[in-house]
Amino acid sequence: MANKVLHVMYDDDQKLLDAARALVAQGIRVKDVFSPFPIHGLDPIIGVKRTRLAICSFLYACTGTVLAILGTWYFMVSDWNMNIGGKPNFTWIENAPSFIPVMFEFSVFCGAHGMALTYLLRNGTLPGMPADNPDPRTTDDKFVMEITTEDNHMSVEELEAKIRATDVFELSIKNY
Amino acid sequence: MGMNTKYWSSLDELQQTAAAQEAMSTEFAREQSVENFLADDKLKETNTGRRDFLKFMGFSLAAATLAACETPVVKSIPYVVKPEEITPGVANYYASTYYDGNDYGSILVKTREGRPIFIKGNKEFGMDGGAINARINASVLGLYDGARLKGPRKNNSSDIDWNTLDTEVKAALASASSIRILSNTIISPSTKRAIAEFSNKYAGKVKHVQYDTVSYAGLNKANNGVTPSYDFSKAKTIVSIGADFLGTWLLSSAYAAGYMERRKPEGEWMSKHYQFEANMSLTGSNADVRVPIKPSQEGQVVAALYAAVTGSAPISVEGADKAIASAAADLKKSRGASIVVSSSNDVYVQTVVAAINEALGNHGATIDNVTGTNFFQGKDEEVRALVDEMNAGTVDALIIYGTNPAYSYPETDKFIAGLQKVKTSVCFNHFADETSSRCAYSAPDHHYLEAWNDYAPVKGRIDLAQPTISPLYNTRYAQEAFLRWADNNTEYYDYIRQTHNSAYTSAALKTDAQWNMAVHNGTFASTVSEAASTVNATAAVSTISISEALAKATAAKSSEWELSVYQKVTMGIGNQANNALLQETPDPITKTTWDNYFTMSPADMREMGLQTYIGQCDCADVIKVTVNGKSLTLPAFPTPGQKRGTIGVALGYGRGAGNEEIGNAAYQTGKAGVHLMDGDKRQTIGKNAFPFISFVDGTWSFKATDVTIEKTGETYSVATTQMHSTVMGRDSVVKETDLATFLKNKDKKRGEAEFNLIPALAVHEDVNGDGVINAQDKKTVDNFDLWRAHPVEGPGHRWGLAIDLNSCIGCASCITACHIENNVPVVGKDEVLRHRDMHWLRIDRYFSSEFETLEETKEQTGKGTIAAYRHMEDPAENPKTVHMPMMCQHCNHAPCETVCPVAATVHSNEGLNNMAYNRCIGTRYCANNCPYKVRRFNWFNYVTNDKFSMVNPAQDDTLRMVLNPDVTVRTRGVMEKCSMCQQRIQEGKLEAKKAGLPVADGAIQTACSEACPVGCIVFGDLNDINSLVNKKSQSVRAYHALEETGVKPNVYYMTKVRNIEPAEA
Amino acid sequence: MIKESKIRKPLILGHKTYGDITKDIVDPIMGETPKQWKIAFTIACIVALYGVGCLFYIIGVGIGSWGLNKTVGWAWDITNFVWWVGIGHAGTLISAVLLLFRQRWRMAINRSAEAMTIFAVIMAAIFPIIHMGRVWQAYWTLPLPNQFGSLWPNFNSALLWDVFAISTYFSVSLVFWYIGLIPDFATIRDKMVKPGWKKFYSILSFGWSGRAKHWTRFEEVSLVLAGIATPLVFSVHSIVSMDFATSIIPGWHTTIFPPYFVAGAVFSGFAMVQTLLLIMRKVMKLEAYINLRHIEYMNIVIIVTGSIVGVAYLTELFVSWYSGVEYESYAFINRFSGPLAWSYWAMMTCNVISPQLFWIKKLRTNLQFTFFMSIIVNIGMWFERFVIIVTSIHRDYLPAAWGEFKATPMDIGLFIGTIGIFFVLFLLFARYFPVLALNELKTILKVSGESYKNDNNKH
Repeated sequence: MANKVLHVMYDDDQKLLDAARALVAQGIRVKDVFSPFPIHGLDPIIGVKRTRLAICSFLYACTGTVLAILGTWYFMVSDWNMNIGGKPNFTWIENAPSFIPVMFEFSVFCGAHGMALTYLLRNGTLPGMPADNPDPRTTDDKFVMEITTEDNHMSVEELEAKIRATDVFELSIKNY
Repeated sequence: MGMNTKYWSSLDELQQTAAAQEAMSTEFAREQSVENFLADDKLKETNTGRRDFLKFMGFSLAAATLAACETPVVKSIPYVVKPEEITPGVANYYASTYYDGNDYGSILVKTREGRPIFIKGNKEFGMDGGAINARINASVLGLYDGARLKGPRKNNSSDIDWNTLDTEVKAALASASSIRILSNTIISPSTKRAIAEFSNKYAGKVKHVQYDTVSYAGLNKANNGVTPSYDFSKAKTIVSIGADFLGTWLLSSAYAAGYMERRKPEGEWMSKHYQFEANMSLTGSNADVRVPIKPSQEGQVVAALYAAVTGSAPISVEGADKAIASAAADLKKSRGASIVVSSSNDVYVQTVVAAINEALGNHGATIDNVTGTNFFQGKDEEVRALVDEMNAGTVDALIIYGTNPAYSYPETDKFIAGLQKVKTSVCFNHFADETSSRCAYSAPDHHYLEAWNDYAPVKGRIDLAQPTISPLYNTRYAQEAFLRWADNNTEYYDYIRQTHNSAYTSAALKTDAQWNMAVHNGTFASTVSEAASTVNATAAVSTISISEALAKATAAKSSEWELSVYQKVTMGIGNQANNALLQETPDPITKTTWDNYFTMSPADMREMGLQTYIGQCDCADVIKVTVNGKSLTLPAFPTPGQKRGTIGVALGYGRGAGNEEIGNAAYQTGKAGVHLMDGDKRQTIGKNAFPFISFVDGTWSFKATDVTIEKTGETYSVATTQMHSTVMGRDSVVKETDLATFLKNKDKKRGEAEFNLIPALAVHEDVNGDGVINAQDKKTVDNFDLWRAHPVEGPGHRWGLAIDLNSCIGCASCITACHIENNVPVVGKDEVLRHRDMHWLRIDRYFSSEFETLEETKEQTGKGTIAAYRHMEDPAENPKTVHMPMMCQHCNHAPCETVCPVAATVHSNEGLNNMAYNRCIGTRYCANNCPYKVRRFNWFNYVTNDKFSMVNPAQDDTLRMVLNPDVTVRTRGVMEKCSMCQQRIQEGKLEAKKAGLPVADGAIQTACSEACPVGCIVFGDLNDINSLVNKKSQSVRAYHALEETGVKPNVYYMTKVRNIEPAEA
Repeated sequence: MIKESKIRKPLILGHKTYGDITKDIVDPIMGETPKQWKIAFTIACIVALYGVGCLFYIIGVGIGSWGLNKTVGWAWDITNFVWWVGIGHAGTLISAVLLLFRQRWRMAINRSAEAMTIFAVIMAAIFPIIHMGRVWQAYWTLPLPNQFGSLWPNFNSALLWDVFAISTYFSVSLVFWYIGLIPDFATIRDKMVKPGWKKFYSILSFGWSGRAKHWTRFEEVSLVLAGIATPLVFSVHSIVSMDFATSIIPGWHTTIFPPYFVAGAVFSGFAMVQTLLLIMRKVMKLEAYINLRHIEYMNIVIIVTGSIVGVAYLTELFVSWYSGVEYESYAFINRFSGPLAWSYWAMMTCNVISPQLFWIKKLRTNLQFTFFMSIIVNIGMWFERFVIIVTSIHRDYLPAAWGEFKATPMDIGLFIGTIGIFFVLFLLFARYFPVLALNELKTILKVSGESYKNDNNKH
């Protein structure tokens, strides 16, 4: 039998939350949820894993710091060191205090932009990408739960029945 | 037995083919001169076919197109035949002499690729050690001035050629019944000879009148026709009544040198200098004791001195008795080793002065009034008589040489009127100036840098002037004119040779070693030419009886307002008014540029409600001053030290009132850089004050009584380079002490004397070992460092300067020298007004406040801190003055270097603070962070911006030739500053390298140290323990300006020592 | 769900639903251009063009067209730079710091505040570039490989730190702002009917579809960026202040500068936010979202920062006296008694005295007065920078080098011009971008929305 996808629409995040809880309890796997704003407490229920973006950001920042240290060392000490205001130009460490601002800024620069890029790439949200939310209202005030027959081993009817049990606002069933 | 192998450079050579032989014979190809090449007839035989023609056409078309695409490449023309003495890139120096009737100097002219670009003193052979002043130093600009007459002219309209001029003039002379020659004092034997020859030709008709723009006739008369020469280096006590002998009086540049020999406190004795004067003069600002007096009191002061010295009945002079007493006492102490001089042109005053010197036995000791000098022989009555003659219309021909009476003659109108009546008038001036433009014929003389000449400044000495460049324009020796008109066709050069060597023939031109040596040295001792150089020297006793003189001298009655005219150190008599450099050089006392004005006592001005703070936003009030019918309206400028109730005004301004062609820089330019106009005439710079000179008792008098002042209500902005006068009690900027205190500490090391302690900071350790750690535990700043600093001591050079505040008289020679040497742009009045002068080296002039320190001010005035600071902003009524040359201090811990974002200014390993112009992006952070504020920013592109087309030499087609090829002309938007004449250091190091020796101390001189007539600026290698600069830097007087900032400069200043009683200090 | 204490007044007035929020923000964007917007925009454009004119003149002729001189090397240029950067601090501070502190009231204002930040920083960036003698070489401040070989910028220079600080601050704020905008663009995209505009917004929205996973990441990124941006905000103005603090000029060389500058920045930033929002809430009918409570909170921030600044001024004076350094003490005596004292007292009145009026609740909650004050504060902050820069260098170490400063039309023209450009940009933002953070507002609707609060009260 053909694969069906059910888009269950709710008119309130609370309702969706309750419904999701109920359905998951009945062993139904909710594939995804489209909402106009983040619904707190939803992720554990439908099993969305915690993101590791923060860690990336930290790593990017560290790279930045290292680059900044190397850079300042190369530019000011190694490549062509000059006598600037009688400062000790022969060592990096004695000059370090005046390089700290640049090191800090550059770390932040790398951390922030690295993470932002990763975020957009992982989301697949990039300039000109097509939107794939099932219903335009999901960016306004409606909340849609996407459930497919394929990863729930039950018939459409069965699913529909269970879903109808919740406070549904609208339900559409499409073929893949 | 040894073998001898033969090697061939080629097979052909082996076979000895014809070609090879040919090649060998012409191994070194002889270059073919252009003439020979063109003369070659074979060229004519070569013919160009149609195809070739097309090829050429095509090529040239392509070439033209390509050329058009690219920025044009400017090619300089190489020598076709290179003069042997010239090596491109290496300067040649020629000894010569400067004389303009007012200033005299033995000079060395620096030429590059045949262009004179710099003038310095001929220290080795020059008269009085070749001391020169700013005016002489800057005179090189005059050579290139584009407004110079390009050739002979008739009626200042039609250009004619020399022959026509000669024939016409000769015709006129022949028919003339009375011929008059009006010239400045001629000290050139050959010129005198030429004039004599001319006079003989027109015997009986000719009279030669010598006219000194600024007359010393009084002095001359009082010494019975001798202009005395003075030796200030022998004088223990110097009393000057109004004579600015360091700036403008007589042979000032020479006197400055002698004077300063005895102003060094380290010497066995230091002279004591009293100055009685109305205007604050450069000399007055250097005096130990300066007494402001009214011009009318000069006679009384002199008389009082005479009385005190000779012990006759004392005469009291209001306000000066105390000083006169002590002056007289000192004079008597140093009989035969003192000098009394007066600027007065009153023969009676001068007679008394002469009497005083006679009484003190100075004549023959410090003063030579028997032979004296040959300068300033002008007789005022003669000049006046001539002018009357002219007005009577009895002068048929007038020949004017080396002077500009139509501008400078006090009764200008009278002279001009007379000039109209003269049938034939000829003028030799360089420009179509006030006089020349009114003469029938302008016969421009060579510029002194283009000409040969000989001068007899004093008996038995001949100085030579030699050309350093071939004449730029179609000019001719004035002397040759005289000769031609006397039907003598000798070249002036030969004529000079004949003067000094009757046996001379032009054949013996090169072989005369003695002459060549003379030319090389620029001088030789002469016996032949004595006749030409001596003056009628009889017993030097004035014919005027002393009693009569005293009576007349004291007769002068004072009035509420009195006026005296003076010469500015920068402008002199105004013969260089078109010299942008001098116009922009600030006056040593008022620090103003591009103007003259009435100097007044600030106190008087406050009473009259005139503006006493002159700044960018605060204009000066214009006042109208009237002296016996003649009046001038000029801004009033506050000058501390000016005697109350007196006004001073500078001569030498207001040139070109008739819109004459005397050069762009001689006229005022406005905000847009175009000339400001008065109707159809260009506005002059300042006003002409010569009319204020009046004729009294047979001499021109430079002072006037019965002066009336009225406010006009108008204001006028005066451009000053220094807006704040006092040092605000900041003793780490300027240090001074009195002689006694100094002598006590003479042998101590730097920082040990109480008058010059190195600033110290309290530290948290028991330094003084009193067991407790408190504020008394201090360490001097040189112990503190933020970081492990770069080593600066030890091997390698560390260039530095030692500047002696004691010697610096503020004459501004260093400013002009630096300006020319480093191609510093001239920016014009409007920019100076905006406080944007570009001087790399400036002289900070500080007047003392009423009280030295803040504390003193507070307790003396009982004011609070704020009010006390306000009080300190105003100079005292008769302030002490300090002149402090200020240039880049080349700090070892330069604050400017650390803040430059692009490292455009970094430290060289020779202790210099380098400035990489082409790396600079112009953030100006360095200038802001410079505690000495010596960095200068290129606000505009001074070389192309129209605003500067009239003033900046770099924008004039010919003036541009004066630029120093060793120094980049900076572009817009970059920072610039003193480089310690990097180019000269480099040159010196290379010289030493070639010689394989270490750089000798003193071998390298910066422009400023070279130009300094008194050896105040000493340049050298601080790391060379035997160098003079190193020794000075160790001396007890040495200190760093703003030492507590810890920037560790490489410039040392020497504490100023005044020869005054500690009580007065 | 988080419950907010009942005594707190609601942040979103009027019984709004999610739909209403969308409607209120999106409708004006989709609707016709309002007349007063057109007028305002035209005026702004004219002023901006004038500024651009001055800009070209200055670049064409040289820095000499300003009133600077050999003593005063910086004046209006750097004053304006610091002033704009300061203003540019409020936005990121509001969205980042307040986010960390979980201040919900920020949500109504952070979007426009950030927009203001970004535009202000752009204005600020103009000055350090234009003030260079050779603008065309500005890129030499970057460590770029070059044909000169080993030729690198000087990392000891505070100006170079500025280059890094400003560029980082600008780009990070921009990213932070845009990431927040993406979901709201999506909302507009889905609402928009005109095809052209729909395309436009769908490009801007990067194909956002609001999946659960994306929202998780979204919140994470916002949080982390906020975490990064917070120290950044403080660092930027600290570094700007080091331009002066690391010099040796009395009145510049002051260790108090970093905190003092940051406080000042926040101070002026909030003032500018007030100025803009008070206009915007009227024009765009956002009273429900930006209400008295927001205004009052911001005024409180103004009191606090204003007082900090005031304390800083007094500390400076005290230290200058206590240090016993004659140059230092004179520098400050000269500030309040010298030729430029008028600017010092203008600063004092505008920054220290007037904000204290906000202690009075009546004034603090009065819109007209708040608006007036916001202008006053910004004038005062401009003078603060003028005082620090000009009065310090015009009379520093050597009295002989003491100078004056006189502004020229070019000084003034360029400054006015930047204000024009700033408003052009802000007006464009207000017209075509979602001026409130829709998605964030919706999350707090139930917590702080009026109707819901009432529900809570029922329970």
